Amino acid sequence: MSNSGNGKFDVTRRGALKGLAASTVLATLPVRAWAQDVTLRWWSPQGSPDQVAAYKFQIEQFEAMHPGIKVVFETTSDEGYAPQLAAAFSSGEVPDVVTHLPSFAVASYYANGLVEPFDDVIEAIGADDYYAGANDVFKAADGKYIGTGIGNTAANMLWLRKDLMEAAGVDKAPETWDELRAACQAMQGGGVYGAPLPYGRNSMTSLIFIGVIHQAGGQVFTPDLEVDIDSDATRAALDFYASMRELCPPGATNYSWGESLTAFVSGASATGIYAGRVLANVNAQNPGIANSVTCVTYPRISTDVAPWTFNDFPSVFIPAQSKHKDAAKMFAAFLFNPEGYIKQLHAAPGHVLPVLKSISTNPMYLDNAIIKAYESEVDLMASAAAGGYNLGYESAAHKSNDKGGEVVGSGVIADLVQRVVLNGENADTVLGETSKTIEAIMKG
Amino acid sequence: MIKNKQTKLERHYATLGMMLIAPTVLVFCAVIVYPLVSAIYLSLFDIYTPTLQGEWVGLDNYRELLGKGEFWASLRTNLIWTVGTLSLQILFGIGMALVLHQNIWFRSLARSLILFPYFISTVVAVLVWRWLFNDLYGILNHLMMAAGLIDMPVDYLGSMPNAMISVILVGAWKYFPFVVIAVLARLQTIPDSLYEAARIDGAGPVARFFDITLPQLRDVLVVIIMLRAIWDFKEFDLIFLLTGGGPVTSTQTLPLLVYKEAFSLNNMGMAAAYAVAMMAVMLVFMILYIRKTGEKDA
Repeated sequence: MSNSGNGKFDVTRRGALKGLAASTVLATLPVRAWAQDVTLRWWSPQGSPDQVAAYKFQIEQFEAMHPGIKVVFETTSDEGYAPQLAAAFSSGEVPDVVTHLPSFAVASYYANGLVEPFDDVIEAIGADDYYAGANDVFKAADGKYIGTGIGNTAANMLWLRKDLMEAAGVDKAPETWDELRAACQAMQGGGVYGAPLPYGRNSMTSLIFIGVIHQAGGQVFTPDLEVDIDSDATRAALDFYASMRELCPPGATNYSWGESLTAFVSGASATGIYAGRVLANVNAQNPGIANSVTCVTYPRISTDVAPWTFNDFPSVFIPAQSKHKDAAKMFAAFLFNPEGYIKQLHAAPGHVLPVLKSISTNPMYLDNAIIKAYESEVDLMASAAAGGYNLGYESAAHKSNDKGGEVVGSGVIADLVQRVVLNGENADTVLGETSKTIEAIMKG
Repeated sequence: MIKNKQTKLERHYATLGMMLIAPTVLVFCAVIVYPLVSAIYLSLFDIYTPTLQGEWVGLDNYRELLGKGEFWASLRTNLIWTVGTLSLQILFGIGMALVLHQNIWFRSLARSLILFPYFISTVVAVLVWRWLFNDLYGILNHLMMAAGLIDMPVDYLGSMPNAMISVILVGAWKYFPFVVIAVLARLQTIPDSLYEAARIDGAGPVARFFDITLPQLRDVLVVIIMLRAIWDFKEFDLIFLLTGGGPVTSTQTLPLLVYKEAFSLNNMGMAAAYAVAMMAVMLVFMILYIRKTGEKDA
């Protein structure tokens, strides 16, 4: 459970060339006309205008190479994909390719026979081109891969304003909670709050707080998936979260990803907690602070505890009920074709990070104003995300948890935060109830 | 001797009658009976939502539901929301209908504009209200701070009782035009002679309202209250989008609980049990409604 944190990738020239070769082979997959017209439905919750434009480019390229196959892109949302997919699965009218869902959601679907094994697609993309262990999170108990990462995301980076730090006399980026609290106290004032931590009843609060538990040296489950949230580490995490409340805006009690991002980007908070989308948004919406923005891994209880980065491992998978599996697999592999894949990554530079070594070193990928301007930040996020975890995969020692999605979706962890931090309920009582609720979810 | 045997013509008419009523019966079965029976049937199983596969558990879901504090808490929240928002809808609705019934110069325009909240998509309305309530950039906090009423922004959606009050107010804003339209239509049919007679008898505006207008509105208000009570009771999107049921479960009504069970916990059987329990509560409203409309017909 550690991040290398050095921001460097171990890419050999040979490895990069192999990756490029694999991608080139992909691009020249045999072009054949399909006997019947096939329409592939592609779902993703990542649908910003720039991203949709990149997807359109990939679709057009694919359709030109494969006459007879049409691809339709349909947007879902981070909070709304579960009911949409549930309806799709139960009706049999499923999308053929789904991207950007967290790995634990795919694990849950695979455990119920709803996802097609993905091994052959990974082979087509080039298994050797992935960073070491990049697909471990997608390996099911039966040894098959259930999908692959379409990117990495370091979702809980601590974003900082160097100008505010300097003005407040904060001489280094906080590494521990005490340092973070002190920095936020020093920077808060004049309409600027210390931090935009989420306290809302939503998945962001759950996901961020799971990270805080780990940053206290704790865990939600043991490696054998016994519930382990009722611990001193969780109590310490709750104490920290409560102590930060006065440093967050009043409305943080209802914050989710959008509000938290906006608070930092607009300059209303001195620090932020988010993934790399901050970079593009700051440059587009508040360029005045663009030169002052930087990021580090989120502080922890002490430097003895390793940083814990939340990576939702945005995925690509194919529903088992897809009527066009072969075409869907071709398209899924094609999504990693360098030209289109890089366009997709550039649509949210630094936010969705490449999973292929050959892409990280590809001059075309590096030729982006934001990636160039924030090279050290992007490198740090890439390495932090590569060593990141989530509730479906809490550490390298943990078994894959196919109930991770249900635990997050139930809101039980956000409820824990709200009850203890906002309502001031007894932490021991609430933790006992939380454990029981999670145990009930695990039993199904 | 009574002749029991139907004539050929009578049999023909009976068959024709059944054929004519058959489409209605079929549609009724398809849109009412089938979903209802399905929901009750599903509630007897432990079902994984995406596959709709599961095992028979009989009444276990109901036993678990009734033993859960969350159900009773959500029911209580549901009743607070329904009574709160419905009362304001009626109050605002009657008030606005009375204003729009007056001979004011912008009456036609106002009658059109008043429908705006009712017609606007709930998602759009909620987005607008979330920005109005926003702690950092919301106009409400900005104006109140500028006026010196508050020193710090008010947390409208993340703390109690603010969250419940905000949800009730937004609900009242969104749905009061329905009351306006219905009441306005009834106001226009009240004979002027009643008001003239009251004036001659020396009744003032308040007395005319309570002695003539309100009794005349009684029937329409019964219908409005029953319909809106049912619709508000099962309101989902507005509350879900505004607060998600929070803080903690303070604004979590039964429809939100059904959603959580069905799609967050993938437990369709339990969700169906909650939905059936909700239906039982709503049945009370329906019985009242049917009795009231029955009395009117009589």
